Amino acid sequence: MKKQYAFLVDSERCIGCFTCAMACRNYYHQEEGVVWRQVYPLSEEIYPHRERAFLSLACNHCEDPACLNVCPVNAYTKREEDGVVVHHQEKCIGCGNCIRSCPYGAPKYNPVEKRAEKCSFCHERLDAGLKPACVQSCPTKALQLVDLAEMQQTNQVQYPAGYPKMEKLNPSTRFILPKTPKMVRR
Amino acid sequence: MASKKLLSRRRFLQGVTAATAASMLPCRLLVPGTAQAAGFDQNEFQVFRNACPRNCYDTCSIKTYVKDGVIQFIEGAPESTYTDGGLCVKGYSYTRRPYSPDRIKYPMVQDGRRTGKWRRVSWDEAMDRIAGKIMELKERDGSLLGLGMTKYSGNFGITNYGVEGLMSSLGYTTRFVGTPCWPAGIDAQNYDLGNMWCNDPEDMVKARYVIIWGANPAWCSVHSMKYIMEAKRRGAKILVIDPVFTQTAAKGDVFWQPKTASDGALALGMARHILDKGLVDRAFVENNAQGFEEFAAYLRENVTVEWAAEQSGIPAEEIREVAEEFAQADPATIWIGYGMQRHTNGGASVRSIDALVAMTGNVGKEGGGARYGHLQTWGFNYNAFIQKQPEGSVGFTGPAAKGEFDLTEGRQASYSDRTVNINKTAQAILDTKDPAIRMLWVSCKNPFAQDFDRPKLEKAFDTLEMVVSVEQFFTETVANSDIVLPVTTLFEEWTVNASYWHYWLSINEQAIKPLHEAKSNLEIGAALSRKMNELAPGSCTLPTEIDTREWTAKEFNQGIYDLFGINDWTDLKNGPVKAKLASSAAWHDMKFGTPSGKYEFRSDLCAEHGHKALPEFKKGRESYDKFRLLTPHTKFGIHSQFVNLDWMKEYNKEPFVYMHPKAAAGKGINDLDMVRVFNKVGEQKARVKLTDNVTEDCLLIYEAWFGKGTTFNVQNLVDDESADMGAYKAGAPGVAIHDQFADIERA
Repeated sequence: MKKQYAFLVDSERCIGCFTCAMACRNYYHQEEGVVWRQVYPLSEEIYPHRERAFLSLACNHCEDPACLNVCPVNAYTKREEDGVVVHHQEKCIGCGNCIRSCPYGAPKYNPVEKRAEKCSFCHERLDAGLKPACVQSCPTKALQLVDLAEMQQTNQVQYPAGYPKMEKLNPSTRFILPKTPKMVRR
Repeated sequence: MASKKLLSRRRFLQGVTAATAASMLPCRLLVPGTAQAAGFDQNEFQVFRNACPRNCYDTCSIKTYVKDGVIQFIEGAPESTYTDGGLCVKGYSYTRRPYSPDRIKYPMVQDGRRTGKWRRVSWDEAMDRIAGKIMELKERDGSLLGLGMTKYSGNFGITNYGVEGLMSSLGYTTRFVGTPCWPAGIDAQNYDLGNMWCNDPEDMVKARYVIIWGANPAWCSVHSMKYIMEAKRRGAKILVIDPVFTQTAAKGDVFWQPKTASDGALALGMARHILDKGLVDRAFVENNAQGFEEFAAYLRENVTVEWAAEQSGIPAEEIREVAEEFAQADPATIWIGYGMQRHTNGGASVRSIDALVAMTGNVGKEGGGARYGHLQTWGFNYNAFIQKQPEGSVGFTGPAAKGEFDLTEGRQASYSDRTVNINKTAQAILDTKDPAIRMLWVSCKNPFAQDFDRPKLEKAFDTLEMVVSVEQFFTETVANSDIVLPVTTLFEEWTVNASYWHYWLSINEQAIKPLHEAKSNLEIGAALSRKMNELAPGSCTLPTEIDTREWTAKEFNQGIYDLFGINDWTDLKNGPVKAKLASSAAWHDMKFGTPSGKYEFRSDLCAEHGHKALPEFKKGRESYDKFRLLTPHTKFGIHSQFVNLDWMKEYNKEPFVYMHPKAAAGKGINDLDMVRVFNKVGEQKARVKLTDNVTEDCLLIYEAWFGKGTTFNVQNLVDDESADMGAYKAGAPGVAIHDQFADIERA
């Protein structure tokens, strides 16, 4: 298998602190309302307590990205060397095809630029041997950078409950599911 | 081309010249379609050292990347094993803070409090008004006791004690002393151990059993969570005790949800079972403690596990199991949170928990400990703090309480400052006479978001003749002020920061020039001193020119250098350093700071101060309304700070009331309904979220101030009832923040 960088989201370690989300904003200064990385609380059907288990999600850097396939002006490339899906905003014409096509909602509309944008995996940091800003920020190492070609298969899942199953796209993000403690209540 | 477009969308730079902004993007978001983006290059930036000065366990060490005088981004210092390259959600929003469009940019005067009719004045005019008022008070009262200062933990940078220094340099004034935060527990630990001193949090990885009792580090100390998780990975059991199913509880092995304020009973029940099972550490209680046999007799006569179960709602079987596991684990530790001592029986409860840790021999042990906090690394000179009053100053002659940092020992003076209880700010303003508090100086504090009984506070402020606020944003306190002075953010001044939890020390460099007309607290002091001396030579002893770098340097001494193993304070520019500890355990040498020099199960000093000598059970406050009301911290802010920033609002848009679905059903309340929470203090509206994270008899609202366009404030619902302890070490008792009650209905 070719090298494919991916985010490993360990919901067992995740404390829902939103540090990753703000670390992204700290680094890229997105416009108001434009969120590249969001922390989503799992619904009570999936985790039995409200707002106590989370998935931290950004772009999945899919094997076969919908955004890339629908873009009429080739504003997307998938990097050969590590599978990172890059959006080139200077080529973007703001047609919105990628935004409508991505089932995971990764590309966002920038109302000021009138173009799309999305998580870049901090590829310029990767190229300098650094971790993405969100990964570096995580205080519990719940968000990690992994290479799917090398990752040991243990307890990760690709499609946790509530996460769209899009096998054709083959999203790269992997998940570890949260556990509940023993509860002793009065 | 692209860079120009980018420039136009960086609205956060309003106020910074376009030329400066031209190369401000930290990354290379826009890359040619065919070519590779250039890698990140650190050499493009100037890198500065900063340190988060907020009232938070973590006191993170920050690396700030600056280009063309503008902060591009920040990250955690990799040198500190504690921050380990990261910050928290609040910390990462700092990049926005200095450039926020909501920032107060220059001195302003309000024509009529709460009118919002603000107009810009020069620093000279602002100082002229303030100095004039101070002179008038002195003339009228014959002293400056009519000038009150309320300051707390909005900025813990050491040089910010220059606010107290400014007051002293004017004369003897009225000080709001005490702390709303942790005083009951501080006193409790002082009675038991002789000081508040905690193990290095990093040594929690060595614990075999961890009880987190009334603390929520997943939100309030995110960097501590990795040590708890590592302890768990190594086989330790993690028990979280809290009336709320917190985010920390969700990460533990076991969660106990006892009745609020029943912590003392629970600890004593466990203690009794440990006693019965013969699991007491005999060597410790015989060699290193005083009064254990009396404590044991108290337990045998007054406490049973069944009684503890009844008091707390935790089944007796559970209490027995955990007590045995805790006593047999070696080492075992308890993190005592500040939440659980904010009760009318809070100090007594902390003493019971201390006793539980001590009787199992876990005090003075690496990986063990009754962890609460410490000030071991706060041995600064307090050069900014200690200032001399002008010749002939008249002050207070009665018994004055000393605050948290009493450095006056050995200084002889016929007068002192007058002190009032910071936890009863409104009442103190209303009650103080001869002279009344006529003028108030507010800095590092937002009383309207933080002090209790806000309706009463408004009435109290209305009796003041002049209120000066030193602030960064238009808070409610500013709305209730006459003059606001813009103060620097951490990036715009020099200072130094230590933690009350971990053992790292960080320098805070000036990374950018102050924006707009902001000045540091010290520079504001110098500006006022200039004006005072211009109007009446010798009326203020503070220097009239202050360089925050020089004053930071003056805070260091050989003791700090030796403790941290550095030769000079400038060594800290290479990164934070950790104290060289003989052991990671507090009290490792078993030399306790108590009168007996031992751990005191029986504290005669505690009895002298009006409490029980033994850690006996004390009942909580009687309910005064239908539901228990809890107003703990949110993860998105520290008290009223951060929540107002637009960056933070991306992830935290509005406040909620959390309520159990069964209780809601009884009231006809549905999820996300707008509700009104009300009690004898006041009322507050918000939308409701139904959740079993709280019990049926509990309402929970996270404390925070949401900034402009909202009147949301939990202090509309919190009275100023005192906790049992705090006067001994903090100068005034703590406050029973979590002993509040309220009712609710659909709004």
